[in-house]
Amino acid sequence: MKDSCSSISAILEKYFDLQATDEERTLVERHLPDCPVCHEQLRLLEGLRDAIKTPVDEAVKEETFPWVWEKIGKGIRQERRPSWWESLRSWLDLSPIFRKRVWIPAAATAIVLLFFSVQIIFKKIPSYSEASVVEYVESETNNVMVYQLENPEITVIWIFEDPDEDTAVS
Amino acid sequence: MNGQEAELISRCQQGDQDALKEIFNQYHKKVYRIAYGVVRQREDALDVVQEVFIKLFRSIKNFKGKSAFYTYLYRLAMNTAIDHSRKAKKAVFFSLDEEGGFQPSDGPEKRPDQIVARKELEEKVRWAIDQLPQDQKATMIYREIEELSYEEIAEAMGCSVGTVMSRLHYGRKKLQVLLKDMVKGREGE
Repeated sequence: MKDSCSSISAILEKYFDLQATDEERTLVERHLPDCPVCHEQLRLLEGLRDAIKTPVDEAVKEETFPWVWEKIGKGIRQERRPSWWESLRSWLDLSPIFRKRVWIPAAATAIVLLFFSVQIIFKKIPSYSEASVVEYVESETNNVMVYQLENPEITVIWIFEDPDEDTAVS
Repeated sequence: MNGQEAELISRCQQGDQDALKEIFNQYHKKVYRIAYGVVRQREDALDVVQEVFIKLFRSIKNFKGKSAFYTYLYRLAMNTAIDHSRKAKKAVFFSLDEEGGFQPSDGPEKRPDQIVARKELEEKVRWAIDQLPQDQKATMIYREIEELSYEEIAEAMGCSVGTVMSRLHYGRKKLQVLLKDMVKGREGE
């Protein structure tokens, strides 16, 4: 069966790029001598590659790469060392936790916890030791003792009618 | 990646500049070919080579060895060259003739005919390559200049072999149209 141009042109670029299988190469090479269209297409591919590649080959051949390595070394040395703030920002950027923005609710929770902790730690605890005996009166029948508390404002009056029985009135 | 290259890379990852120099000696011509393929000017290509190796030294810590080192380096070179070309494009002025064809602007310097002719051809090729979408451009340069296989291009670009073949096909079609006179002229030589 004679190979058609359409089936050959599908593999012509692979052939040109030396990427065709043995079978494909055989097909193309059998077809080319009898087909001016595919032959012309192959020449166009070669012409295009030549136009793109030849100047590059010539440029590389002529190049001596003057001072390139020295400039690279200098460029590396001149690279500015990042400040502590840039380092911190870079660390924050790289941290997956911070990148995922989990830090926003985490920071809010931390602030709330800190607020309540401060409240608990520095809360003024009323001390009943501040209570003081304001007055103490002794008699034969009754003994009276008056206490005054500042917070809450309470006055406690103890009346001792009998040494064995205590009565408190507030 | 052979053992010697792996050791070089490991040393470079630890900040050893001598290791970078060895990598430079091994690869600078290949990087220059890619750079020149994109920017088509000597000075710009040398600038790109410089930039690529400085970037490599800075970023080689990120190379985990999952792909071949040269594909990592080629990708870095290609991206740097394309960026450089994009920035330089703003400074280059072209004019179009009445038919919309390419016509390089007249430079202030008068050069010998041969040099001028070559420079014009270079500018025309660069202009044509710049008309391609970025992926087609990179694929064309990897194949036509660096002669990478389809598999190697696919690895460097992170795509399938089929995509590489498609990009090559459409890139070539477009360049054949844009460089029609040039391609046919060379063909008759």
